[in-house]
Amino acid sequence: MTEDVITLENVWKIFGDRAKEAMRAVQERGLSKPEVLSEFECVVGIADCSFSVQRGEIFCVMGLSGSGKSTMVRHLNRLIEPTAGSISVLGKDMLSLNGNELREMRAKHLGMVFQHMALLPHRTVRDNVGFPLQVRGEPKSVRWEVSQRCLNMVNLDGYEDRFPRELSGGMQQRVGLARALASDPEVLLMDEPFSALDPLIRRQLQDQFMALSAELNKTTVFITHDLDEAIRIGNRIAIMKDGRIVQIGTPEQIVTNPADDYVRDFVEGISKLKLVFARSIMEPLGSYELQAGDDLAQSPRASHGTDLDQLIDIATTTTQPIVIQDDENNDVGVINKSRLLKGIQGGKA
Amino acid sequence: MTDTGLEAGPRGNELSVAEFVQENESYYSKQFAKIQGTTGFAFSWNTMAALCGPLWGALRGAWGFFWTFLVLELFALVQIGRGLWGELGADQIARYEKMLVNIAKREQQAKDLIAAGDTADAEAKLKIADNLKRVAAQAKEKADLAANEAFSILITGLVLLLIVKLLEGFLANRTYEKQYLNWRANPAIQSGVNKLSALFGAVLLIAIWPLTLFRFTVSDPDGKLSALTNGFIGKQIPITEFPVNREYFAVLAKKGDAGFDWLAINFSHVFKGITAGIRAVLDGLEVILIDTPWPVVMIVIVVMALRLAGPRVAIFTAASLAYLAFMGLWKISMITVALIGAGAALCVIIGIPLGIWFGKSKRAYTFAEPVLDFMQTMPAFVYLIPIIAFFGTGKPPGVLATLVFAMPPVIRLTALGMRGVPETTKEAAVAFGCSKWQLLTNVELPLAMPSIMTGINQTILMSLSMVVIASLIGAEGLGALILEALQYAAKGQGLLGGLAILLCAMVIDRIAQGMYRRKVGGL
Repeated sequence: MTEDVITLENVWKIFGDRAKEAMRAVQERGLSKPEVLSEFECVVGIADCSFSVQRGEIFCVMGLSGSGKSTMVRHLNRLIEPTAGSISVLGKDMLSLNGNELREMRAKHLGMVFQHMALLPHRTVRDNVGFPLQVRGEPKSVRWEVSQRCLNMVNLDGYEDRFPRELSGGMQQRVGLARALASDPEVLLMDEPFSALDPLIRRQLQDQFMALSAELNKTTVFITHDLDEAIRIGNRIAIMKDGRIVQIGTPEQIVTNPADDYVRDFVEGISKLKLVFARSIMEPLGSYELQAGDDLAQSPRASHGTDLDQLIDIATTTTQPIVIQDDENNDVGVINKSRLLKGIQGGKA
Repeated sequence: MTDTGLEAGPRGNELSVAEFVQENESYYSKQFAKIQGTTGFAFSWNTMAALCGPLWGALRGAWGFFWTFLVLELFALVQIGRGLWGELGADQIARYEKMLVNIAKREQQAKDLIAAGDTADAEAKLKIADNLKRVAAQAKEKADLAANEAFSILITGLVLLLIVKLLEGFLANRTYEKQYLNWRANPAIQSGVNKLSALFGAVLLIAIWPLTLFRFTVSDPDGKLSALTNGFIGKQIPITEFPVNREYFAVLAKKGDAGFDWLAINFSHVFKGITAGIRAVLDGLEVILIDTPWPVVMIVIVVMALRLAGPRVAIFTAASLAYLAFMGLWKISMITVALIGAGAALCVIIGIPLGIWFGKSKRAYTFAEPVLDFMQTMPAFVYLIPIIAFFGTGKPPGVLATLVFAMPPVIRLTALGMRGVPETTKEAAVAFGCSKWQLLTNVELPLAMPSIMTGINQTILMSLSMVVIASLIGAEGLGALILEALQYAAKGQGLLGGLAILLCAMVIDRIAQGMYRRKVGGL
């Protein structure tokens, strides 16, 4: 069962004093980003973005700095007001909420993690984690209990009475994550949460986050500038450039079928071993030409859903090509050494 | 074009020098290359600059050069003028001549007296005349000496002019090269030769040089000028002083008086209300500090210092209190502390909300800034006058004067602290559903607290510095003691009183700081 938790339709954000005029001009005349800048001195932050996120999905938004990804995620809890378009979260039209409704929505249903942690330096870790509940008016006993539980989830028990400045960057970000989880929101917004951390800690936190996320089944919008991270974490990835979404797809779709040169450049350096499967690189059985010494009867068999990594493991055990079978165990194709190498190289046949 | 609107363009040195100087580029590119190729002083001579001086600077847009050498050349020219036609010792000659007339008059009187047979009086007159003659001779001598100096002054002036010209010639290209480097980074800086700016420079020279030369080299310049211009310049418009008496000033001052009087009469109930409010705060504090038996007050203060700021401050506090008590200053010290306490408390109560407002609203701060500057820089005596008019004399007006002076720091530092709260932290709080009030109390105020505490501290110390001035309008206490010492030139009394104020200030400051440090923990 899939259900859209977040839906964005044709969202625009234009920064500047004359944003309204610029918006009208864009809709009527279709101005480009530099044209808007020169004519109205307005900067286009988000241009015509539409997507939806399903319940329990981790939706990554990937883009370089200045591509509008952080601006976009702030639209989801209306930290930034869109210039045009509609945003609905959990079936509510976000733009029609009044001040109190919006605050309640944020406090109950939307947790957020920030790149620079943004913890309150004068409060202990426990009080930082309990802050969203305090805002909601929960009594201290509830706050303490919940923050204890959330700190357990991120493996930080024992640090409740420390101040944020006493913790390392990675620990601080785990406090940030615990804080976002404290109000048990249905939606998690993560704005480059691991970008400021060093690679080793980043990887640990990614693993921890994925484990948590599998357990809690939260709908997550995850902003990152790191495609590796997006591929590791995301069920689906949206790639942004200059405020526009260039491509949305599963990691495999993005890697094997980039929408344009921009995406292709990104994908270039990505390891395809776990993203490309036998079916996309095999030679159909009918058109395969036997080489000297080939004996398909002796060949190892593999399913068409085997990824490159596993295919390599199989290939190292034999001199024969690998025969690929479909779901009903019928032989459908062949992958020999040269095809396998080509596949590793480019993800294509 | 990029997002920033900047265009990248690698510019070759030769090309851009040519673009910058516009005329004489081969000369300047050679000179610039020489300057850039030398460490230390590069001897690069610019004949045009040496000859034309400030005008060259104006033509090339080197205004620093223009003004520097305008003044230096003028100085040299004044010396030359004094040497050539300056009536040196003119004032001494005038004095000498006046005395000659005087002497002649006395001698005439003496002659008349002798003729009348009054020899005693005549002798006295002659004695005066003799004395006058001696003084006159001195004046004549000085005048002659001054006249002889003319030649050496002329020589000095010529040497000075030569030095200035040499400086111009040697510094011009260096200055111009600096301007070129600045221009490369900021193309708005004047480049090339500009006839209009040269004209502007020439007009400035004509406006400044002749009049100044005239003023410094001619005795009685106004008289000479009026003779030249038929009494227009010099007599009607004198150049030695601005041709205005204080007629405008007098009118405006009178209007101001009337305005203050009107306010004092029509809003007297408002002023009375304010006075009553301040008096209530003061009375409360005085009851606590003065009417409570002194041992109780002393013990409470020392224990407070011990608990809040530690044993060292407690010992210091005890010593200070002992000094005040044994000097017999206990009561008036407590009056002073009550005065400061009332002032500081009001500063904090009014100042912190204002600071929060100014920290949040940029527009409000823009309007408030000049008012705050005014409050801090205006001499206290100026606002003491209307305060007396509105509130009379005594302690409440003294507190008010303290408020005017001591409130700005707490306002400013609160606003500063509020603006220093990181946007990201505020954003996070909002993202978790904070209302404005929750944001203020949970995030902004705690994060701004160090700055606010500094502001309160400053306010307390500035209040203390106002006690002497407040005593001018009748506020009693240590300030009055010092004022009295000033009136009778009682040095010892002044010193002891000053020390008492200093000790009060230090005790309050140390306790407040200790309190804050404790509260923040190990931050």
